[in-house]
Amino acid sequence: MSLLVARGIEVHFPIRKGVLFERQVGAVKAVDGVDLQIERGTTYGLVGESGCGKSTLGRALLRLEEPTAGTVRFDGVDLLGLGYAAMRRIRSRMQMIFQDPMASLDPRQNVESILTEPLTAHDVPGGKQAHRARVRELLEWVGLPANALSRYPHEFSGGQRQRIGIARAIALGPELIVADEPVSALDVSVQAQVVNLLEELQERLGLTYLVIAHDLAVVRHISDTVGVMYLGGIVEQAPADALYDRPLHPYTIALMSAVPIPDPEVEDARERIFLSGDLPSPADPPTGCRFHTRCPYRQPTRCDTERPVLREVLPGQQVACHYAEQILSGRIQPAQVEVAPATTDGAASTG
Amino acid sequence: MSTLSPELIPNPDEELIYAGEPNEETTGGSQWREAVRTLRRSPLAIIGMIMIAFFLVVAIFAPWIAPYDPGDGQWLNQITPGNYPGPSAEHWLGLDQLGRDVFSRLVWGARQSLIIGVVSLVIGASAGILLGLIAGAFGGWIDTVCMRIVDIMLSIPGLLFAIGLAALLGQSLTSVMIAIAVVNVPIFARLLRGQMLGQRRADYVLAATSVGVSRSGIVFRHVLPNSLTAVIVQGTLTLATSIIDAAGLAFLGLSSPDPSVAEWGRMLTDAQSALSTAPMLAILPGVAIVITALGFTLVGEQMREALDPKYRR
Repeated sequence: MSLLVARGIEVHFPIRKGVLFERQVGAVKAVDGVDLQIERGTTYGLVGESGCGKSTLGRALLRLEEPTAGTVRFDGVDLLGLGYAAMRRIRSRMQMIFQDPMASLDPRQNVESILTEPLTAHDVPGGKQAHRARVRELLEWVGLPANALSRYPHEFSGGQRQRIGIARAIALGPELIVADEPVSALDVSVQAQVVNLLEELQERLGLTYLVIAHDLAVVRHISDTVGVMYLGGIVEQAPADALYDRPLHPYTIALMSAVPIPDPEVEDARERIFLSGDLPSPADPPTGCRFHTRCPYRQPTRCDTERPVLREVLPGQQVACHYAEQILSGRIQPAQVEVAPATTDGAASTG
Repeated sequence: MSTLSPELIPNPDEELIYAGEPNEETTGGSQWREAVRTLRRSPLAIIGMIMIAFFLVVAIFAPWIAPYDPGDGQWLNQITPGNYPGPSAEHWLGLDQLGRDVFSRLVWGARQSLIIGVVSLVIGASAGILLGLIAGAFGGWIDTVCMRIVDIMLSIPGLLFAIGLAALLGQSLTSVMIAIAVVNVPIFARLLRGQMLGQRRADYVLAATSVGVSRSGIVFRHVLPNSLTAVIVQGTLTLATSIIDAAGLAFLGLSSPDPSVAEWGRMLTDAQSALSTAPMLAILPGVAIVITALGFTLVGEQMREALDPKYRR
């Protein structure tokens, strides 16, 4: 059985107007109908550009953000149906690692206090003695020296802070960890160390990960399954290698074509697909396929009227595109996207 | 699955060496200890602290420092209209119109100012912190109700309120302190609420929720302690305005009805009639008020700079 099954998750943030009588004039549809399933012991990588709702989705799955619609089943338990106390109790089984390790650690707490907090919050038996022993064990697991206990977050480097955050996340022996951009705030050399640590802990503790990232290389490295998100919805989902070797959704194709290849000849020969325009506003998403406004493979019919659902196009590979088969077979070629000419005369282009 | 190239990891232990060696400058320092370190390097803060220390010593040890009773007018016979004895060996700062020792009155005035300042601050800040805490912790309609109460308090002019209170409770020190306290409530309530709202969305609060810390635990162990810094700074600054306000109310004759009680504000009022012949009678209490208020303001401002991350580095 899958550890986490989410169906039809929506997180809409209301936009209110009016001074005296507030009324809702719209909603930012940060997450708009996402189905997701994570198998026990595997890693699900979630990629997408900033603003596509991937962080909000991660928080909604742990109910740190209240979803406005949908269901989340964690190990068979309907999370959204749980009351406050029951939810608090089940939180020990699911944890989160944050992007900015400095912001996610209370500057007033020393490491010992940070790591003891989850143990006391859940009344882990054994009292102070056992808690101290557990905290020392956690430090050892994440590779921090024991003398770190009495220090404060600001005394550590970025990578060490992230290790503290990881130690806190595994303190209660969780099954699921949502890692929201766990390495993007770190130096490249430290990134590799933290990624390796995450993999090591997964092996040792049998963890299930949902890793949210925008770094395609990191996601490929650690994920078993990868989901690509665009404007609040998942557009493609497949085993990591399949997705990277043969992306099917136009957005994924464009995303993959942006990854530089460390071979100058291949790099020169390959075709890059440029996307025109910016990410549309999630408060006013395009009709039909969310991606049709920027899609180089856009067709005159269906794309702007009918929202495609995720469907299996190749074994294990699900795509939300009406024309995935035709794109795969090469019958539909990308249209040339006009790259806006660089104007030297500023006045001419403004008209 | 591809692997990250090993060249990316120049030395896996490099990062850990830093943690291994304790560094004198950075070990065992909380935010406050670091702030104290910053304050000690700031000349303005040191000047302010000296001013405060001087004021505190004078206020606390007034009975031993003052050579005479501040209400004792036994030298009235030395006073002639338009001629008040200036500084002498017997009376360091001379005598006032009622033949009282000015130096003794200044010293006792410090004690009076301290009492009014501290009591009104404690009352005002406590009430404000309570309101702000309730508003910031619960949010929603409770927040709205608390903030409307604060708005009502803000809409009452402080001076009018003080006069009304004096009429209601009688002219006394208590009504002055309550009046100043009421003026201070909205300042603290708004400040704390704003700080707490800002902290509530912080990642570490989310992290605490995620590890299962209870709602009260989050408010009292995380949100409140991290919001109090600004409140403490505001407290120091408010002490300065409270002392000025107290002097202002005393100047208007709203303080203690007993004329023998030494108070800087009242000394200013009394000196008015003799402003042309003996300006020192007005200048001395004025300078005392300025020095005390300036001391608290300097320390408060420097503390804000030392504690506020926006000013850091």
